[in-house]
Amino acid sequence: MSGEYLAFLALALVAIIGGVLMLNLSKVVHMVIALVFTFISIAGLYVLLSAEFVAAVQVLIYSGAITIIMLFGIMLTRHREEDKEKTTTGGFWRKALTAISVFAFGAAVYLGVYQLDFGENAARLHEKNAEQIGTALYSHYIIPFEIISVILLVALVGAIILAKKDDGEAQKK
Amino acid sequence: MSMHTLLRYEWGVMTPEFIIIGTALILSLVDLLMPDDKDRRPLAWIAFVGVAIAFVATIGLIPAETTSILHDTFRLDAFGKAFKLLLLAGGALSLLLAFDYRPKEGLKHRGEFSYLMLCALLGAMIVTSSGDLITLFVGLELLSISSYILVGLRKTSVQANEAALKYVINGGISTAMTLFGMSYIFGLTGTTNIKEIAVEAQKLTDGEYQYILALAFLLLFVGLAFKISTVPFHMWTPDVYQGAPTPVTAFLSVVSKTAGFAIVLRLLITIFAAAPARGKDTSSMLLSMQDYIAFLAGATMIVGNIVALKQRSMKRLLAYSSIAHAGYVLVGFAAMSWVMIDSIWFYLLAYLLMNFGAFAILQRMSDEADSDDISRFAGLYQRSPLLAVAMGVFLLSLAGIPGTAGFIAKWNIFLGALMTEPGHYVLAAVMIATTVISYVYYFGIFVQIFFRPAAETSSLRLPIGLTLIVVVCALGTLLFGVVPGLAYHFLGQFEHFGDFLQ
Repeated sequence: MSGEYLAFLALALVAIIGGVLMLNLSKVVHMVIALVFTFISIAGLYVLLSAEFVAAVQVLIYSGAITIIMLFGIMLTRHREEDKEKTTTGGFWRKALTAISVFAFGAAVYLGVYQLDFGENAARLHEKNAEQIGTALYSHYIIPFEIISVILLVALVGAIILAKKDDGEAQKK
Repeated sequence: MSMHTLLRYEWGVMTPEFIIIGTALILSLVDLLMPDDKDRRPLAWIAFVGVAIAFVATIGLIPAETTSILHDTFRLDAFGKAFKLLLLAGGALSLLLAFDYRPKEGLKHRGEFSYLMLCALLGAMIVTSSGDLITLFVGLELLSISSYILVGLRKTSVQANEAALKYVINGGISTAMTLFGMSYIFGLTGTTNIKEIAVEAQKLTDGEYQYILALAFLLLFVGLAFKISTVPFHMWTPDVYQGAPTPVTAFLSVVSKTAGFAIVLRLLITIFAAAPARGKDTSSMLLSMQDYIAFLAGATMIVGNIVALKQRSMKRLLAYSSIAHAGYVLVGFAAMSWVMIDSIWFYLLAYLLMNFGAFAILQRMSDEADSDDISRFAGLYQRSPLLAVAMGVFLLSLAGIPGTAGFIAKWNIFLGALMTEPGHYVLAAVMIATTVISYVYYFGIFVQIFFRPAAETSSLRLPIGLTLIVVVCALGTLLFGVVPGLAYHFLGQFEHFGDFLQ
């Protein structure tokens, strides 16, 4: 059992626990913190894969920007702290079926990857990986890169028109 | 990369895409600079003209040879040209619908409506003409994200809010599945170019790798099933179709679905057709997976048609009918005959014509009273005989009655299922049985139109945009129903999409 394996186990465990907690906690701020744990441990997994640049981006964007925006969202909207009993839809059979299918899928994937051996790791991935990503992004993948800018435009426009108060609505308040 | 290398590529083959994105940008600027109290409906006309120019440009590109830009991140081949024509026609018709969309509560953000639709159309076009996983995925997301916003544009309507939320959540899950599948494919082959993936996948003779590749196939197929709304991912369809504004519903049911079939065909055929597998055909994973696809096709047809029987809302009825139609198209894919792509293309063409016609008339009828209950159609024949006859033509075509494009399309899919060796008799039988079931609900609408007394006696006037759609679609439906050779002659120049794999 190598050190890398131990680190992987720890990080993966934290990531999964963070995800599960995020679903089960009842206060929104706690959920965000659980999510931060997941984000940061995923960044750790990227470091293990010698993708330092992606890891830095993960920390900056997910644990930084997205978490802050979520906190702002929580701050600026009303939250009634209600201790309602947890109600979920669907009967016993539906839940059981969902659980069975989730576990079956997990088992199928686990069977596939457990013994899988991809042979040698690519040796040159860690060398100047920010430069490698930059070169690929701005030469080879320039077309998808430009389309992503259209996606950003669409997302911005969408966020504004969906969240903006309409004139009539704003005057009423 | 220097400017010189960049300019060496033939960017001319991207003209239709450039026109669409240019129109979208111009519209967003015009919308920004226009005074607030101005009516923004004319913007839909500008968008329509842009799409029409792009359509002409695509026709102009038909003689062009197969071109690839930047390692296939954009490629123009016969497959892309043929499907892009369908998408552009669908986009133009949805914009016409949007121009005459007058819901009871009014529609704010008409400007955004037009250029979001153009962006969605751009995403769909990218999906049809790319040979790289990343571009395909980015195009698919552009289409999805634009449609999420379009669905939620009627902010005051509870139904629309529910529909938008459902659409986002379901779409997110399906995107995750698609991406998971893609990541396995990338992991096994080490490249995102789908032709190189196909070459690498042929070398995977080890059973372990084949297991993972099969898993990737299923994940990819189930994830993409969301876009074409077939069985594992069909639950969102009725709610979203009902809640979305009618032009968006028409857009989703035709353009989005066509793009979905385009990406399913291109990815699955290119990557898996020659990959070795352990199943019933060891030389091709696609053929080994045939039974699963056939099963999903059968389940889709059965679920779509049976649940449609008890619908009262016209939009929900058309949603279930669109699920059923996706099932018929999937039969064409599952059969994997050599005319597969031709018959699917023709089916989608017929589907475009009859569905847009039906949605145009539905929009007129439901805007009037803010209800899309089937009884709105009662006595349509007395109020406007011509409109009733046009609706009759669309319904006959949807049901697949001889003399209409819908019949020819279904007939070709049906023959395709029987012409392979061994034939898919069970699938063909299910297709016939479910078609007969579908007669029940299509003729239910018929009865309302022709035999029930009208609740109102005022005559109906159709606005100019809707008239144009109804006339074009009705003529097209009849024309391709009587002389389908026209469309097949047109397809003939693509030579069964042979350059698909080169």
